[in-house]
Amino acid sequence: MTAPGSLAARLGSTWFGSGLSIHARERLAALAELREVEPGAVLLREGADTERFGVLLRGLLALRVGVAGRGTATLMTVEPGDIFGWSAAVPPYRATSTVVALEASQVLLLESGALRDLLRDDEQLMLALYPRLLESVSRRLTATRTQLLDLYARDREYEPW
Amino acid sequence: MVTAAGTAFLPRERLDALLDLLREGGRTVIGPTVRDGMPVLGEIATVADLPAGWRDEQSPGRYRLSDGHGDRVFDIVNGQMSWKQFTFPPRQKVGEMNRFAVDGSISFQPSAPDPPRLAFLGVRACELAALGIHDRVLAGGTFVDEDYRARRDAALVVAVQCTRSASGCFCTSMGTGPEVRTGHDLVLTELDDGFVVDAGSPAGERLLARLPGRLATPGEEAAASAAVAATRAAIGDPVATDGLRDRLMDQLDSPRWGQVADRCLACTNCTMVCPTCFCTSTSISSDLGGAVNVTERGWDSCFNPGFARVAGGNFRPKREDRYRQWLTHKFATWIDQFGTSGCVGCGRCVTWCPVGIDVREELAAIAPPALPAERPFIRPAAATPGRFEITTLRASHPETPDTATLTLVPTEPVLLAGLPGQFVMVDMPGFPAFPISVSRYAHDHLLLTVRGAGPATAALLNTPVGGQVGLRGPLGTGWPIDRALGRDVVIVAGGIGLAPLRPVVDALLADRGRFGKILLAYGARTPADRLFTGELTAWTDRGVEVLQIVDRSGPGWAGRVGVVTNLLDHRDFASRPTVAFVCGPERMMQATTSVLRDAGVSRERLFVSLERHMQCGIGLCGHCQMGPFFVCRDGPVFTLTELGALFTREGV
Amino acid sequence: MVATRLPRVGVVKLASCDGCQLTLLDLEDELLAIGQRFDIVEFPEATSRRSMGPYDVLLVEGSVSTPEQAEQIVDLRARTKRLVTIGACATAGGIQALRNWSNEPEWRASVYPRPEEVESLATSTPIAEHVTVDAELRGCPIDPHQLLELLTALRIGRRPQLPDEAVCAECKRLGRICVLVAGGTACLGPVTQVGCGALCPAYLRGCYACFGPRDAANTNSLAGWLARDRTEAEVDRLFAGFTGYAPAFREASRRAVEAMQPAARRRRTKGKAT
Repeated sequence: MTAPGSLAARLGSTWFGSGLSIHARERLAALAELREVEPGAVLLREGADTERFGVLLRGLLALRVGVAGRGTATLMTVEPGDIFGWSAAVPPYRATSTVVALEASQVLLLESGALRDLLRDDEQLMLALYPRLLESVSRRLTATRTQLLDLYARDREYEPW
Repeated sequence: MVTAAGTAFLPRERLDALLDLLREGGRTVIGPTVRDGMPVLGEIATVADLPAGWRDEQSPGRYRLSDGHGDRVFDIVNGQMSWKQFTFPPRQKVGEMNRFAVDGSISFQPSAPDPPRLAFLGVRACELAALGIHDRVLAGGTFVDEDYRARRDAALVVAVQCTRSASGCFCTSMGTGPEVRTGHDLVLTELDDGFVVDAGSPAGERLLARLPGRLATPGEEAAASAAVAATRAAIGDPVATDGLRDRLMDQLDSPRWGQVADRCLACTNCTMVCPTCFCTSTSISSDLGGAVNVTERGWDSCFNPGFARVAGGNFRPKREDRYRQWLTHKFATWIDQFGTSGCVGCGRCVTWCPVGIDVREELAAIAPPALPAERPFIRPAAATPGRFEITTLRASHPETPDTATLTLVPTEPVLLAGLPGQFVMVDMPGFPAFPISVSRYAHDHLLLTVRGAGPATAALLNTPVGGQVGLRGPLGTGWPIDRALGRDVVIVAGGIGLAPLRPVVDALLADRGRFGKILLAYGARTPADRLFTGELTAWTDRGVEVLQIVDRSGPGWAGRVGVVTNLLDHRDFASRPTVAFVCGPERMMQATTSVLRDAGVSRERLFVSLERHMQCGIGLCGHCQMGPFFVCRDGPVFTLTELGALFTREGV
Repeated sequence: MVATRLPRVGVVKLASCDGCQLTLLDLEDELLAIGQRFDIVEFPEATSRRSMGPYDVLLVEGSVSTPEQAEQIVDLRARTKRLVTIGACATAGGIQALRNWSNEPEWRASVYPRPEEVESLATSTPIAEHVTVDAELRGCPIDPHQLLELLTALRIGRRPQLPDEAVCAECKRLGRICVLVAGGTACLGPVTQVGCGALCPAYLRGCYACFGPRDAANTNSLAGWLARDRTEAEVDRLFAGFTGYAPAFREASRRAVEAMQPAARRRRTKGKAT
């Protein structure tokens, strides 16, 4: 296991961590565990309790959603520096998608119960974490809307022949 | 006879002598006359054709003529028609594009100018200014409207100083009148018993020397000046022009645009009667088999709903967008384009608006982007509409279900010497010309990557191998590769937007050592919609970081899913000088440039390529205007700094 | 580009006067070429050949005015690849749509000696209210040049050049002086789609909009301007003409009626079913 001090530094070098206070990085690093995952590893399952919150350090993750009869579709991929499992900090603490590693990846993991206990005790941490969490979620919302716009689609509306 | 140097006086009863002189050499004299009770500019065969005793009375949306006001022949201040009816005809044949049935080969025959010999009699100061503006717009730039220039060269201009004014007049504010200063061969000032006459050119002096009459007396000269001064006083100074350009451009969000649009009919009358409006569209008359296609250019208007439309939508869908385009162009961006206002203050747009919208009131109620930077210029082949370089289709390579890359072989070498990001106008008999970016230049051919977005592109894609295609170009500005020397380069492409960027990758890889890190971020709709898939891997091997992402995953895709900004928004470009080239749908470029700016790329180093409705490709037809820019000529590649608030703004 | 067979063209009519179909026959200089390039399989006005389709292109004249026609047009649509409506009746309901504002049984009784034998709908409506239309040629009657352009474009495979601009643009290009501004004549040219070559203003008459409204025509502004020196009843009559049932004109007419004095309004709407 890596020392918490160096984990805080690793966190600070990511996009997500660079937006947190030093205090917040240290408190989170103290709970975090560095993990290498193989391609195909499932980190969260859609609809189940969000058991962990994580920051991707290296590799690529897919966020997948299942539709009965249509199988599972990858709706977006997560780039290094971004997070997964934000629902660990947002009621009802259930995963909104299935998270699968597409490549050999390195992640920082926090157990969700411990994270919530920490947040309840540490208002400063809460004030640092939630804005950054919302920023990440809001980027995803914007990206999803852009996907819905179907910008590259061919125009269907031009005049007859 | 009078001496050539002096101001002459022509008695009213000798006006026929002036007409005779003007008619020499087979000229037709055109001047103000009244037909069916209506004011027109028409042939003046005899003095009796001039409107003696007629006067006009004008107000917004209303024009009335009345006669019986004495003998004066130039008391109608102006009418609906301007001289552009003769210098820039409403309809003009551009050429013929033919396809021969025997072998399918094609040919183009541009029309040669054949101007009538005319003498314009009764041209007012504002109208002389309008002719001067057209001289700059149509014949003063890099590309010249040859028909216009021939017509201007062939015409004599006899001006008349205004001794009356109409309610719509504001030449005084625009600095164009009522005094005649330049641009004429002769100038008349009408007094009760005759005309004070002066020359304004060597041709005018020769005419003046042969005019019967005598030298004007000091009293007559003083009376003429006083009459024009009285006109100036009567008009006043109705429009405040100081700083008008900036004041107008600062008000793109004024609520007044919407209010005037509630009244505006978008009927195009203001632009048709305007003596300086010059926008045109091309139409084609084909025989039923499409073998013979006569192309004709006709007056069009930025008020027409289709004027700024492309296959994917309309850049100025609302009436208020179109009114704003017209007003800001006329009074503001025209200055950027041509160095003067586009308005001469003749008041026609006020009088001939069917619902009486008064441009002076709108300007008063409504109340600054940089000029484009210097770019390298390549003189294109067959630049002007009606001319074409014929190329032969050597191969067609499908890229996606609706897109293919065509290999075209030209005989004209300049077509192979274009810059990355330049485009060509594609001309095929029977179809309107359309712009396509060059997706690669090679030693004996160029590649066009074409998506079947409409009938014309579909027809291009259906051209058989060995078939012929007409091209004009290369046109427009390119991506400035030299700005990337020694810097990191970020290339962001969306969908078909990778096509105009491929020559950038080619140029960077041809000289790989002179550039820093190269990142290509490519977003497409689905994995199957990606272009150049084979090459993407090859580029990775040659030192380009290639990241691909799709909006929707598809069979066999294990790569990234999401929008192209996902590839960039966790990155930092601030630590090293970085240049970015972005091309894709406007919404995608907006999102991308916003992320890149947040990540530290400066606006001066952020380049985008815009799409607009283009017909001529050389800044003459007016369709592609956006603020001060003709996108075809000043773009399509711009920095964000140049575009300022215009970038991704709706309705400009 | 070599066609293996000629496109099959049909010309049919619903409620109309046949004038638009005749425009095709008026293309005398082109008829031979049209015959060589198209297979005219149905054209009762010109030939006794009959066909049940299928058609590549069907030119439909006339409005839907009877229950039978309402069924017929659905059937015709199913048998053609492209359906092109021609003329004011097919594109806007025609002059017969004037009955849409009135009490249809009363009208019928006043026109026909035995009204019970006439089966007609309460309204006359454009084809596009019933089935999908691929293109339309406006006018009463249609313009032969536009018809020829449509056929040519169809043959070449390009989009037909049918400009959506005001009659005003054509007047100005032809150097015709505005009858509205300079003559005070009521003219609907600014809100009407061009195609006629600005015929009426050439004879110093106002345009009465037989080509129907332009896209997003600002009839409200023009009606307001005209009403400055006309009664609302006169403004109403201007818009309620050959293409009066087209939505933009219907709306202008409705506003004028609303602005009328109560007595005039009662006269205008007298006998209206609802």
